[in-house]
Amino acid sequence: MATTGRKPIAKLLVANRGEIAVRVMRTCREMGIRTVAVYSDADRGSLHVRTADEAVHIGPSPSRESYLVVERIVDACRRTGADAVHPGYGFLSEKATFARALVEAGITFVGPLAESMDAMGVKTTARANMKRAGVPTVPGSEGPIADPEEARRFADSIGYPVMIKAAAGGGGKGMKRCDRAEDFAGLWASAKRESAGAFGDDRLYVEKFLEKPRHVEIQVFADEHGNAVWLGERECSVQRRQQKVIEESPSCILDEKMRQAMGEVAVRAARAVNYRGAGTVEFLVDAHRSFYFLEMNTRLQVEHPVTELCTGLDLVRLQIDVANGGTVPRQEDVVRRGHAIEARIYAEDPAKQFMPSPGRITYLRIPGGPGIRDDSGVYTGWTVPQFYDPMLSKLLAWAPTRDQAAGRLVRALGEYVLTGITSNVNYLARVLDHPAFRSGEYDTGFCARYEKELLPRADERLEHLAVVAAAIQQHRRDRAEAEAFAIRGGSQAATSRWVKLGRSRVLRGGLR
Amino acid sequence: MSSYVALLDGGKREVPVEVRELRPGVYEVRTGEALHVVDAHDYGEHLLQMLVDGSCRLAVIDPRGNGQLRVRIDDSVFPMEMLDERKLRLRRAAGKFTAEGKQFVTAAMPGKIVKVLVKVGDAVREGQGLMVVEAMKMENEMKSPKDGKVVEITAREGQTVEGNAKLCAVE
Repeated sequence: MATTGRKPIAKLLVANRGEIAVRVMRTCREMGIRTVAVYSDADRGSLHVRTADEAVHIGPSPSRESYLVVERIVDACRRTGADAVHPGYGFLSEKATFARALVEAGITFVGPLAESMDAMGVKTTARANMKRAGVPTVPGSEGPIADPEEARRFADSIGYPVMIKAAAGGGGKGMKRCDRAEDFAGLWASAKRESAGAFGDDRLYVEKFLEKPRHVEIQVFADEHGNAVWLGERECSVQRRQQKVIEESPSCILDEKMRQAMGEVAVRAARAVNYRGAGTVEFLVDAHRSFYFLEMNTRLQVEHPVTELCTGLDLVRLQIDVANGGTVPRQEDVVRRGHAIEARIYAEDPAKQFMPSPGRITYLRIPGGPGIRDDSGVYTGWTVPQFYDPMLSKLLAWAPTRDQAAGRLVRALGEYVLTGITSNVNYLARVLDHPAFRSGEYDTGFCARYEKELLPRADERLEHLAVVAAAIQQHRRDRAEAEAFAIRGGSQAATSRWVKLGRSRVLRGGLR
Repeated sequence: MSSYVALLDGGKREVPVEVRELRPGVYEVRTGEALHVVDAHDYGEHLLQMLVDGSCRLAVIDPRGNGQLRVRIDDSVFPMEMLDERKLRLRRAAGKFTAEGKQFVTAAMPGKIVKVLVKVGDAVREGQGLMVVEAMKMENEMKSPKDGKVVEITAREGQTVEGNAKLCAVE
């Protein structure tokens, strides 16, 4: 690793929470870098606070008053002497103002330059930049639209279905699919509220919705010495409400030629904005296998472990190396092997329209065994707060082939035990077992198209076993209670002072 | 011996069960017509593993408060309640007082009311959205449980509510 002679990062503050904060801290621990956690009121007992070397309270539970407040993070760095910040994903990770504030305070931002974030962070600017660099884009509005009426007229003009998207967006927040003009106003208002809440920015734009699109993204990495590489693709077409659920690599629709072409376009996109660090260039691939630039995420993605399993690289370590002035691997040294699949475990109830299910985890057993990786942010006894994203953990499987990886992940999901709150664990297993998924012939409409087949079903032949188990458990509990009562009653009688007094009077003629 | 009644399908179906301990950890269980001899062992707080005729079956018994259980075998989940005679009598007595007419809509989870979609006096259809609740960054519509009229609204826009808080009533 070539360095520029600047002082390497010694103490890193993770401006995030949950599983990604834990994930980043793990690599820091391996690299001998001290870690600082930040936490809100609701997160005092969060796993990332326990994982860190130091922790700073940064405000009330709503993220607008804690994790999204730039000054509080900068202040926490000053107080702890942290010389770098890793933003994770979401929250402030794609805010150029945050990167600038850190640089001004003399703190290293583990991420791209603020200028690159400006160029890519606002999605409408990114589209214009990409068009200039000769990267194909999806038809849509040139910039954010302020007036809902004007936006609807634009939607009418490009034809339905359209996507309403947050200019500052990501992760499916503030993103709505609109099929008819009459639904537009309501969906627009809802997207605006979600966007304001999630990103502190309510600007929206409109894009044509492609039919049967697949979501394929390329992981890129660049350093300050002008090197840029791509590390392979991730297919993220299993989505529910524009939220990714299952991600895998390699994608079933790419052949080596198309993969190479997309990789090169992605690197060109990164170079066009003088990118550095980890980035993801997202594409939509239509039914004719044409690909369009969707957006570039200027941060580490939720699904980055998929790429880690295939390439054997630690992307967080690579991010820190690059932030220290190091170089990225050469393209010819990047080797990909086997197949990796990730399943996102959410606190939500698939039987109730995926309603979030916050609450206390009374028991958690995480699967293990060959080829399994669990990146979790929770533990037994933790109360999942209502204030943040409902993702609990990411479970991944790696195997030499796609079929084996899918089978392995289903096996691991079967071992997963989570009680106290409802999760989508069974739903995920059904997705992975579905013939359309197994055949590789699926697109972003998969979850909606097979909604009914994917819903939890109880096998009624097992009902009597469930009743037997619950009855035995109840019987044991009742017996234990009765015995405890008897022991209490018995021992009390045996040790009663009055009984002792009476006995001694009888035997000895009085206490002495 | 213990006698219980399992309430299934949200209390609509009752299945009587009898449990007798033959020797420590081994039980004879009668459900309806069927008789099972089961060797049961606790593998942690909510895990009961059963040997039924030599087959290993793992039950995850997840208590959700108010006596509600979610029992999972393989990937099938069965919500139920397990009541003894006394609790069953109390339940039946309470059932008589359940109001047919006025139904309260309650928050399914703690969150924030972002939008109230109806006002008092509005006629609503079953399944129609009454208000939008935001929790964990996602918006969810609370729907009317029946056809009727909105008679009461207790939640305000912008208000933070607890799980099970009364939001409005439809009659």
